[in-house]
Amino acid sequence: MTRDEFERHSLRFGAAVETWPAPFRQQALALLAAERKDDPDAALDRLVLEAALTDGDDQALARKVLARIEAGSARPSLLPRLLFSPAGFAACVAAVLVAATLAGYQVARLQDDPSDTELLALASGSSLADGGIAADAEGEGSL
Amino acid sequence: MRGSDSPSKSCQPVAATVQHDQPRGDDELLARIAGGNQSALSELIARHGRGLRMFAARYLGNAGDAEDVVQEVFVTVWKQAARFDPAKGRASTWLYRITANRCIDQRRRRALRSFIGLDDIRDEVAAPEADAEATTAARQELAIVRDGLSRLPERQRMAVLLRAVGDLDIAAIAEVMGGSIGSAEQLLVRGRRALRDHLAMAAVSRERESS
Repeated sequence: MTRDEFERHSLRFGAAVETWPAPFRQQALALLAAERKDDPDAALDRLVLEAALTDGDDQALARKVLARIEAGSARPSLLPRLLFSPAGFAACVAAVLVAATLAGYQVARLQDDPSDTELLALASGSSLADGGIAADAEGEGSL
Repeated sequence: MRGSDSPSKSCQPVAATVQHDQPRGDDELLARIAGGNQSALSELIARHGRGLRMFAARYLGNAGDAEDVVQEVFVTVWKQAARFDPAKGRASTWLYRITANRCIDQRRRRALRSFIGLDDIRDEVAAPEADAEATTAARQELAIVRDGLSRLPERQRMAVLLRAVGDLDIAAIAEVMGGSIGSAEQLLVRGRRALRDHLAMAAVSRERESS
């Protein structure tokens, strides 16, 4: 079969050579095989396909896919793996330390911030005991 | 059984309206999968699992990542089968498109993990019987092809693998890669040329070594 005959038959029988009636089918397949042999791109494709071959068990793959579907999770989250890895754990510890330091600074700043009443008492010469100016007020009342 | 079949945004249906001959088997399987038939999913895995795994493994350069990606692909197929429209393209093109997107996501995740120190990037696709591989010229040639593939730019590698492993035509490669037919053809031509150059250089260096 020549290429022209092949094109005419493809118009007659359709594009899928496998569905052509015999003996046209065998002749067409033989022509395609011969053309592939001469085609350097097809030869390279065959080489790439052969190089890409890997071992694998499709039944095991199907079992794993169905197990994932049953579990309802398409992909394990990155977060748990991050937390259980050394680098992730160290990052979390560092983040906690930074947060604790910032919180400590905030608390200390609030505690050291004198109120207006205490500043007024300081300016008027009253003592700044833990009891505040209440003790002095008692003293004034006793006068 | 299919209570969680909500559409996922990460999976895009084939956008282009290229007409193909319909391999009825895949279309019918996807219709049955959309109806919740697990045996249809197993049959689809038996038909396409090997090809998708080979494509992902050679594209990612890591068999473990490839296995993970292909599992995700079929979980996505299970959830999204109802969205597949046979009028818009072949089922195999749709499967390779999902796989290509997942592979790109996986590369990004791996790059991020490598950046934060959780992983190091290595090519880890086991060459079958690596010791025996050097014993014959044919196996040496396959090893050189694998090396050449790993050195190709990512999009060229994807185009070459979609053609050789997925047996997709240029229009389907363009659909999978989300580009024009012209750009897909250019990627394929450049990838093949680079592979041939790599093979030729390896042959020259082997001749020098032997002489």
